[in-house]
Amino acid sequence: MASMVITNRSLSLSPLISVQPSRALVDEKITITVRNLPPKQKVTLHSLHQSEDKDFWEAFGHYISDEDGTVNMAEDASLGGTYEGTEPMGLLWSLQPVPGSRPGLRLRKMNVLLPMVVHISVHSGHIVHGFSQAAALATAVTERWFMAPGVRRVDVRESGIRGTLFIPPGHGPFPGILDMWGGGGGLVEYRSALLASHGFVSLALEYLSVDERREINVETTYFETAYQVLQNHPQVQRDSLALLGLSFGSSVTLTMAAYSKVIKPQCCVCISGSHVHLVNKSLFEVFQDFSINMPKARVDENNHVIWRGLILPIPTEPGKKVDVGRIKCPVLLVLGEDDQNWATKESAQDMEAMMERAGNKHLLTVLSYPGAGHLIEPPYSPHFRSSNFIIQQLKKKVIMLWGGQTKPHAYAQEDSWKKILDFLYQHLYNKPNASLQARL
Amino acid sequence: MFSSSIRELLCLRQLYRAIISGQRCKAQVGLRTYCRPAPLLTASPTRALIDELITVEGCFLTPNSPITVRARMHSEDGDLWESLAYYYTDGRGTVNLNRDSSIGGSYVGCEPMGLFWSLQAAPGEREGLRLRKRDVETPYLVDLSVLQGHISSCDGAGGQGMRAEQEVAAVKVERWYMSPGVRRVEIRQNGVVGTLFMPPGPGPFPGVLDLWGMGGGLVEYRSALFASHGLASFALAYFDHKDIPGPAKRVNVKDSYFKTAFEILQNHPQICSDRVAVVGLSFGVYLTLKIATQLSVNPSCIICINGPLGSFNKSFNENGVSGTFDEHQEYWSYDEHNNVSFREMSSPKNIPPENFVKIENLNCPLLYILGEDDLSCAAVENADEIEKRLRAVGKSHLFNCVSYPGAGHLIEPPYTPNARASLWTTRPTKLITLWGGNLAQHAVAQEDSWKRILGFLDLYLRQSD
Repeated sequence: MASMVITNRSLSLSPLISVQPSRALVDEKITITVRNLPPKQKVTLHSLHQSEDKDFWEAFGHYISDEDGTVNMAEDASLGGTYEGTEPMGLLWSLQPVPGSRPGLRLRKMNVLLPMVVHISVHSGHIVHGFSQAAALATAVTERWFMAPGVRRVDVRESGIRGTLFIPPGHGPFPGILDMWGGGGGLVEYRSALLASHGFVSLALEYLSVDERREINVETTYFETAYQVLQNHPQVQRDSLALLGLSFGSSVTLTMAAYSKVIKPQCCVCISGSHVHLVNKSLFEVFQDFSINMPKARVDENNHVIWRGLILPIPTEPGKKVDVGRIKCPVLLVLGEDDQNWATKESAQDMEAMMERAGNKHLLTVLSYPGAGHLIEPPYSPHFRSSNFIIQQLKKKVIMLWGGQTKPHAYAQEDSWKKILDFLYQHLYNKPNASLQARL
Repeated sequence: MFSSSIRELLCLRQLYRAIISGQRCKAQVGLRTYCRPAPLLTASPTRALIDELITVEGCFLTPNSPITVRARMHSEDGDLWESLAYYYTDGRGTVNLNRDSSIGGSYVGCEPMGLFWSLQAAPGEREGLRLRKRDVETPYLVDLSVLQGHISSCDGAGGQGMRAEQEVAAVKVERWYMSPGVRRVEIRQNGVVGTLFMPPGPGPFPGVLDLWGMGGGLVEYRSALFASHGLASFALAYFDHKDIPGPAKRVNVKDSYFKTAFEILQNHPQICSDRVAVVGLSFGVYLTLKIATQLSVNPSCIICINGPLGSFNKSFNENGVSGTFDEHQEYWSYDEHNNVSFREMSSPKNIPPENFVKIENLNCPLLYILGEDDLSCAAVENADEIEKRLRAVGKSHLFNCVSYPGAGHLIEPPYTPNARASLWTTRPTKLITLWGGNLAQHAVAQEDSWKRILGFLDLYLRQSD
């Protein structure tokens, strides 16, 4: 007796999307291929991610399958979409808020214990919008992690310091990194989690509180204490430490490297930073002085705030900028030439000149990226030309222009991260130590 | 010579004092001091599917030096499994398991995944263990480390193995049977007991009915892995499962059970009804052959791993009652350790002729995966018999066979260790059964056969129209 069944004989098989590896660290490259498409078919590859704030982000690229019905993102070129050309990671770094989203969004992972989940789909035809209504031919799911297995996350609340420590698996001891973000404040962990996934004990330090109830009155001693907390950790190699800062965190890095009697790192990394700020003053006074320059702030045609000019022209008087000639360790400067938030290119040029005069220019390496903006972050993160920002000192919410164009900014993030890691390995892991050679 | 040794000793003492007082130490002329190096061990990816290759590399190690690379993990039952291999770092102080050859330990030669397939129960653990994942929604966590020197597992104090200070770098990896997005669906439908694994996305997908052997229970990991490759896969229980009623030690389901299971796949709205395959291992092969020839269903292809064409249990028809597994012990054989081999139970010459599957009715391609050192099933003889019978009716073109020297019975997904023998039962007495297979040759078989299995399923489930 033939049973009454609903068969799917007339339905053709769905294409197969494979993502390899399906679970990767955020700085690991993945290979996305689609098979079993009709040959020579127009298709759109689409990525979708829902952020921790519940906003949706998407990216897409237009492709044509080959005669075998295959699309391989590592080899084939996107003909249009949020990225163009042969871009294996394009579906990740070109993510943008879906149409209708709240303005000024920025994608940042706050809970690093969980991955970023991205859905990769393939659609028939070359479509540019309405993805949520368009039925996908196939979907794959991939996880992007900031933390490798075995990395430990430890809250640090001691000696007045507030931060999070990330420790690689194994006994150690490991080199240590003091990791500082910028004027946005708060406790941002993802870069430290990633550094620990590469073999460094990394302390993500909060020094500007976004919590009004918790006013951190931050002096130089705060950073020196944080450095010592890191240095004294039983799994940290005391003589293999680095400072890494972005934006205002770079200014802190340069100040400490130049003036602190306690902080003596093996090397420093300064991303999108400047040496221009009051020296030997508390952070409070620094920001006060900064506010005085506020009239120099401009806005663009969208009313996005441009702070670029605030430190221009680069001052010549001492006391107004860090004397980088005093720095005794290698420094890696990373900057985007389209940085609209901080005059980092001019600052780098001035730093170079100061170090030339002081005779320590050989310590300086500058990575300067045309078309990149201020927020140079771990690779394959989306680019934000502008986003919401709260100016703590003025208690004002604006949309800040960071600058950069997406493709060159993505390149800057990918290239600088490799070079930052190489720099850290060179100075913290591969130090000129010698092996014992017995003369027998 | 004596004086330079004294100098060496003095320098070492000075160095020691310098280190503990935190000062920089000055090098003696002709001798350089040894500061602690900071080696690094990396694995890529750190979260991998079971069948994905992991690249393990060490750097910043002492150049041209002996090192041991070790893997350690705990099974779900808490047993410690371990493997280790001896290498020499190159002139730059690096080791790369894709490039370098192990000169001893759990495996030798250039074996990128050797640490994983050569895992063995650590000394002191229980006897007769087999590594199998029950919960496929969590990964195996494996600790990889590199240690100075060529160290054997037994060095160091008691069960602690190697001393901690010899470990110079470590990394941890996760190994998964399930990729993200795969859905695990428990099936208790029309009397059928199993677990369905659906790939992410709308489908429709090809389907696989996944059958294991007389170990019983419900084994999910191969199906989870199939689904991670885009195939909807149904792991079926049919023996010794709490949700299948009937007396213990008997197969209490009939032919109709398997037909219903196959149709559950066919009728699923996300599965293409004319693209369903059947995969069986061990006794699951007998069931696979039956499904393909006697149950009025039409799989697109079937895969048989080390299993028989016939069975002592004249069974599963609607009227009959199957015998128990323990009934034909005259065919059990024992080695010098009193471990049992079931091999002769499945030898075609021992099975009543009427108990053979009517393989002549086969209408779809068949891939037979054969371990030549199978001590649990007479796989070689059964494969020969299948081929012979198909040839006799002009159906040779349906028969594909891959034969692996030195491989045993349990040819499973790759980069997992083979158990040459394992605990079969503890009642009435403890009995260890022989599966066969030499570790390295079995690993080759698993890696190669898995590629062929996926390729065969791809060919007949996706590509053919």
